[in-house]
Amino acid sequence: MGIEPGRIQFSWISSAESTKFVQVVNEVTKTIKALGPNKNFVKRPVAETVSKVA
Amino acid sequence: MSDWEPKIISFLCSWCSYGAADLAGVSRMEYPPNIRVIRIPCTGRMSPKFALAALREGVDGVWVSG
Amino acid sequence: MLEYIDKIKEISTRLLTEKKVDIIIGFRKGTLPMSNEPCFAKNAEDIKSFVWDSNCGINLANYLPNRKEKIGIIAKGCDSRNIVTHIIENKIKRDQLVIIGVPCKGMIDRKKISDMFEKEITEVTEKQGKITVKGNGVEKTIEKSKVLQENCAICIHRNPVIYDELAAEKVEEQKNVDRYEDVRKVEAMTPEDKWKYFDNLLENCIRCYACRNACPLCYCPTCFVDEAKPQWVGKSQDPTDTRTFHFLRAFHCAGRCTDCGACVRACPMGINVRAFTKKLEKDCFELFNWEAGLSMDERPPLDTFKPTDPDEFIK
Repeated sequence: MGIEPGRIQFSWISSAESTKFVQVVNEVTKTIKALGPNKNFVKRPVAETVSKVA
Repeated sequence: MSDWEPKIISFLCSWCSYGAADLAGVSRMEYPPNIRVIRIPCTGRMSPKFALAALREGVDGVWVSG
Repeated sequence: MLEYIDKIKEISTRLLTEKKVDIIIGFRKGTLPMSNEPCFAKNAEDIKSFVWDSNCGINLANYLPNRKEKIGIIAKGCDSRNIVTHIIENKIKRDQLVIIGVPCKGMIDRKKISDMFEKEITEVTEKQGKITVKGNGVEKTIEKSKVLQENCAICIHRNPVIYDELAAEKVEEQKNVDRYEDVRKVEAMTPEDKWKYFDNLLENCIRCYACRNACPLCYCPTCFVDEAKPQWVGKSQDPTDTRTFHFLRAFHCAGRCTDCGACVRACPMGINVRAFTKKLEKDCFELFNWEAGLSMDERPPLDTFKPTDPDEFIK
């Protein structure tokens, strides 16, 4: 729908797998850093939209 | 834009990943500070509404973990 | 298709006079051409106004949830699949229903026809696969196959899935139809192009919720768009809100949608709402080999778990 794949991620980690947790956090952060800031789907405050139109 | 840091919202299952996060903390492991944790009772509580609501509020990524 | 009506009337009258049902849901002529409306017949007199032609695209299963009386309902292929879905979801009991199955040869898209004419259309008649449209001083005959609703053109379940009585011989199902050509086109786009495509698609949406109201699946007592605490979706026509509405509605219909086309038919702005629901229908078919409303014994993919469920997206 226009949201980049990777913007939303899923994983499965057991409560004993703290190393996997750290690893996944790193991965997720890396992919999203690579994607850059999210521009789509953000609801902009009305003031901002109005100033853009004007 | 060089100093831009992503904001990532993470929905963690209370029993699985939240436990793992807790253990990581207790074990003094280091991980990126970009994630904001929301603890949900179970990944079954997750709803597409949550992911969309987060994106609408302007986060850069959503991570669901069971 | 027109000749079905005598049989439909005959069955309906019999059911009502024998007191097998309290009410029969069918179609009667609408006030405008090409817009038949639902009709709730309570006695033999009401049944006289029943009609059946290529303008019966409304999904009558929409009027079933939570009804208490015994109901006779006229069901096309898609209606019958939605009735199955309702029974699975406990919105109505099977023994409350007498289903009058009608094999369907497709319904016509009134927007396609009215787009062909500049003037107002006053009369539309059909005969043997041809549609004759009359307007102010114009008259034109069109092949019915050219003005079918898009979902009817690719339909592979024209015959009712469950029925107690059948109004006519079953029709031959269409074979070798490419059901997902348009979905594949969207899937092939880059995220940016997709974003533009959907922006374009929803540009005209006025958030009237006609698609939701016409949809037999949308029976939630409180729809998420009407929830105020927390408010998931803004009430305005903000593009983000409009998109959230359509996107979430499509997800609520995942694994339940029968592609009946009621949403598109109801849309006053001519938005192809099916662009959302169809992608999920395709996914359910490809990932779970599931088509909604075909069997009463199987649970839908979203409320069962099988070890064979695809889970590549999970790390």
